[in-house]
Amino acid sequence: MSEESILSDDLLRQLISVGEVDILVGLPTQNNAKTIGETAQIIRSGLLKYFPRARTAILDADAGSRDGTPGLVTAAAISDTGESEMPQSLRTMHCITTTLAGTEKKGTALQTMVAAADLLRARVCAVISPETTRITPEWIDRLVRPIYQDDFDLVTPTYRRHAYDGILITNLLYPVTRALFGRRVREPNPADFAFSGKFGAYLMDRESWWQELGESGAEFCFTAAAIAGDYRLQQSFLGTKDRAENRSADLVLAMRRTLSALFWSLDEYYDAWSNHNSESQPVPTEGAEYETTLEPVRVNRKRFYEMFRSGVADLEPVLATILTTPTLEELKRCINTAEASVPFSDELWARTIYEFAGSYHHAVISRDHIIQALVPLYRGRVYTYLEQINVASPQKVEQDIEAVCRTFERCKPTLAAMWARRQGGS
Amino acid sequence: MRSVIVTELSHSAQGFGRSIVEFLPRLLVMLIIVLVGWVVAHLAKLILRKILRLVKFDRLSENAGAAQLLTQAALPSSTEVMCRLVFWVTWLVFILAGLSELGIIGLQEHISLFLLFLPRLFVAVLIFFLGMIAASFLSRAALLAAVNAQLPSARVIAYSIRAIILLLTVSMAIEEIGIAERTILIAFSILFGAVMLGLAIAFGLGGQDLARRTLERRFSERERKDAKEDELSAL
Amino acid sequence: MVPATDAHWYKDAVIYQVHVRAFQDSNGDGIGDFRGLAQRLDYLQRLGITTLWLMPFFPSPLRDDGYDISDYYSVHPNYGTLEDFKSFLTTAHQCGIRVIIEMVLNHTSDQHPWFQESRKSADNPFRNWYVWSDTDTRYQGVRIIFVDTELSNWARDPVSKSYYWHRFFSHQPDLNFDNPEVRDEVWNVMKFWLEMGVDGFRLDAVPYLVEREGTSCENLPETHQVIRELRAKLDQQFPGRMLLAEANQWPTDLGPYFGNGDEFHMAFHFPLMPRMFMALKLEDRKPITEILKQTPQIPDPCQWCLFLRNHDELTLEMVTDMERDYMYDEYARDRAMRLNVGIRRRLAPLLDNDRRKMELMNGLLMSLPGTPIIYYGDEIGMGDNVRLGDRNGVRTPMQWSGGWNAGFSSADPESLYSAIVLNPLYGYQAVNVEAQKRSAHSLLSWMRRLIEVRKSTQVFGRGTIEFLYPNNHRVLAYVRQLGRETVLVANNLSGSAQAVELDLARYKGSILIEMFGKNLFPRIGELPYLLTLAPYQFFWFRLRRL
Repeated sequence: MSEESILSDDLLRQLISVGEVDILVGLPTQNNAKTIGETAQIIRSGLLKYFPRARTAILDADAGSRDGTPGLVTAAAISDTGESEMPQSLRTMHCITTTLAGTEKKGTALQTMVAAADLLRARVCAVISPETTRITPEWIDRLVRPIYQDDFDLVTPTYRRHAYDGILITNLLYPVTRALFGRRVREPNPADFAFSGKFGAYLMDRESWWQELGESGAEFCFTAAAIAGDYRLQQSFLGTKDRAENRSADLVLAMRRTLSALFWSLDEYYDAWSNHNSESQPVPTEGAEYETTLEPVRVNRKRFYEMFRSGVADLEPVLATILTTPTLEELKRCINTAEASVPFSDELWARTIYEFAGSYHHAVISRDHIIQALVPLYRGRVYTYLEQINVASPQKVEQDIEAVCRTFERCKPTLAAMWARRQGGS
Repeated sequence: MRSVIVTELSHSAQGFGRSIVEFLPRLLVMLIIVLVGWVVAHLAKLILRKILRLVKFDRLSENAGAAQLLTQAALPSSTEVMCRLVFWVTWLVFILAGLSELGIIGLQEHISLFLLFLPRLFVAVLIFFLGMIAASFLSRAALLAAVNAQLPSARVIAYSIRAIILLLTVSMAIEEIGIAERTILIAFSILFGAVMLGLAIAFGLGGQDLARRTLERRFSERERKDAKEDELSAL
Repeated sequence: MVPATDAHWYKDAVIYQVHVRAFQDSNGDGIGDFRGLAQRLDYLQRLGITTLWLMPFFPSPLRDDGYDISDYYSVHPNYGTLEDFKSFLTTAHQCGIRVIIEMVLNHTSDQHPWFQESRKSADNPFRNWYVWSDTDTRYQGVRIIFVDTELSNWARDPVSKSYYWHRFFSHQPDLNFDNPEVRDEVWNVMKFWLEMGVDGFRLDAVPYLVEREGTSCENLPETHQVIRELRAKLDQQFPGRMLLAEANQWPTDLGPYFGNGDEFHMAFHFPLMPRMFMALKLEDRKPITEILKQTPQIPDPCQWCLFLRNHDELTLEMVTDMERDYMYDEYARDRAMRLNVGIRRRLAPLLDNDRRKMELMNGLLMSLPGTPIIYYGDEIGMGDNVRLGDRNGVRTPMQWSGGWNAGFSSADPESLYSAIVLNPLYGYQAVNVEAQKRSAHSLLSWMRRLIEVRKSTQVFGRGTIEFLYPNNHRVLAYVRQLGRETVLVANNLSGSAQAVELDLARYKGSILIEMFGKNLFPRIGELPYLLTLAPYQFFWFRLRRL
């Protein structure tokens, strides 16, 4: 996709007014009126406090909000036109908005931000999730400074999270990324992150990339591209991440987004992960690498197990086309054991994921169906994980996650084998 | 009398000999045509096999579920089936063309009728094949959606969808061929009605429980909270 | 001759600030004098300026460049005689140039006879002419202006063994304006010069005249009362003369110095100046529009005085801490360039000797509302010498030619009052009047043209201003209007080419005429008016309905 086609004339006109910036902050919004006003103000105060001399702008890439979200973002602008009292600042700060065309907006929003950052010659572009309610001005500093000052290319966040939150990350994305690409990026699919102008320009040049990512979790692809392209990564501890209950949650949709991005990256960066065989390396981190909290939360674990069991039973013919026979047999054994035991071992989980990835690569059936078929299995895995950490300490939770990661690293040859065998087969 | 008989016989013999003489070249022509047909059919088979391998027809039919059907019927792979089909049809056309060359009265008529019928047969086979693909894809989509939406009896839903689409496909294919249209239509109607009735009764009786549960879940705070917790903490 | 008719002449003036000492030496003693200055009046006339502002030339120990006066009724012998001054004044008026002189009323030199008497004893008749105290604890909390040299506003006098009040250097005791004798004497001094024919005074250090316990001792009502008295006498006895206030204050505090048109005619707009430099560096118009928004409306006969640089440091008292740090970092990385709360540099070095920036800044100076002041030498882009102490780096001799002592003096170079700038970039051989006169493209020629265009209309001196706020914040655009005359000004504050859309709907149908080349630009239509500006370019357009 060329730049002309994704930037509307109106946005272009606004970009002309902005001119050149040092820091661009992007907000991919859609009906976020409840939180966005405050978020934009906090971003502004962060920019003013930590980068008082930098040229800055906020870009709201809005997916057709009907609740006045863009207006709340533009209210944070600093200009000399308004009558209202202005905060102390050296410079004008533009807040520009654009309404995105198309149906699936997240990827388009990110592409718009990358393109805008490129056109504005921004040194740093930070993307902040509009749903965040715990944001503080420091977030801006922690995300932006490593790039602004120390020439990093991608800053991913780490959060203080509840152990029950982000299971998809701790049990799937993080281990797979770590095992395959060899970097311990704790949040490989970040909601809040920042990238350098240099890295943005590199992404801008990859047209095919954006065509593929129109609708998936493009954030993960930022991480994958940065690791594969040997760009400089840093993690910054931001603070408490909202509990997931504050966010809209559709598990199938979430898995579709993240897994299609993950599996796509495996195809795209085959050379990067297939040649990487040494142990995974940590990423330089500012602040805590992670923090886990464990306040008691009521969860009906039994239901997860039920959904897992009925899912495996019902989907057996579909799973048979995706998984190898031994793995499927083992899964079937899982659903036949007593509920109280721990059925879904780390190793089985790792093999399952790798076989799904392989089948996705070879497209043995519709790729979307492959991802959907993983959902019940994931639920089974969640059940096991919750059982494991039920009475654990935060340290124990971390140890468990570390163990999962090591298992994934150990089982990596499974994926390579899946890749090779099926390729020769057809 | 003898002479008459001799004359007749010699006439007959002559006639027979003439017809033999007349028939032999035709037979030869027919044999040549059949032989050429075999060569052409064989070539067509080879070319088709190459093309199908190139477009990964096997995987396509595997996706469609046709492969499973073939395996169950102890048939070779779908590429092989297609190739053999083309081989035989092509050769058959040549054989028939050769036969008509023999000039046997009545046979020619049937042969030309058969040749006219051939394209429709092809279309029917194609419809059937596409129907198989659609049925398999849609039933799997329904299965996955049902499982992930936590609907009970996901498999029943999937099978019902597959059955309905297959029935529709068969009826369309048969209509295309045009054999015993009425009989089949009536049979299909009866069958379809029966299936629908069966489903309705099954759901009516078996769904009581589901309906009750659905309503309960909707109105019960506790249940709702449970469901919410489950969904949210899984991300 | 000076046209005598217009009482508001200062509104259309273009002021040239000069120190007699630095301009031209006629007698070869290495110090500029009034005869020399008179010789150079034709240069000033050709430049187009209408008013000369002379810095203090009174007898003085010269410990603060003449701001420490020891006799108000005479001329420092270095600069000539009173007769020399009179003949200079006459010549200037003949050339159509008015003359404003400096009046330092807040304090005298400690060598002034008044102070010498005052310190003798507590019951001396002159004792009450200054502010004395037995302790140094009165007026606590009053800020110290020269923070780099002074520790307290009180100084102990060893002769009278008590403390005297001084807001500036300790050798500059403050006069006591609570004493009616002092106020009478001050008017006598002013009358002396007014009768001689000077056209106005720049009153130095005005906010500090009166002291009161428990206040900041600045901008007190009693101070305003003193000024109103002086103004009333001036209007009564010498109508058409002008008072200009030096009050380095925030715009809201400056407003009162205009009173109801019964205090000063003009006052310097101190906060605007650093913000012009800041806006240029930030490539953002916000500092300028913001400060002008905060600037109060002033009574009709009053006028702001605008300047880019003057004989003092570029003062950063009227900016926020954040802005000050920024200005220091951007304009005075070398600590030697900083003095007190400011930057002691000339215009050209501040602007990296970038001709485009100098043109833009002078364009702003001439087109924003107020009367512009040009500091001597800036019209040719003279440099400074930050190695000289205090503010002497920006007070070096005027560079007239590439010849002996830059054409300033026939004395030996060693005996000049100050070394001439010699470096290859700004030295007199590279930067001098004679060379620039010969080039039509020189800064001097350009400045002459700029002043000419400025003087072609009264709209700049007297018109209203209305800012346009185009989305492109690097473009500062405003409309000046006076009667039927409308001028549109657009400035590109950035170092890159800019496109800007101006909302000129109110002037729909007007034609734009660029004021320097008199060339036509397209008529204003329905759509926003699209302008493109080269780096640091500015346009002045006369809007005409034709």
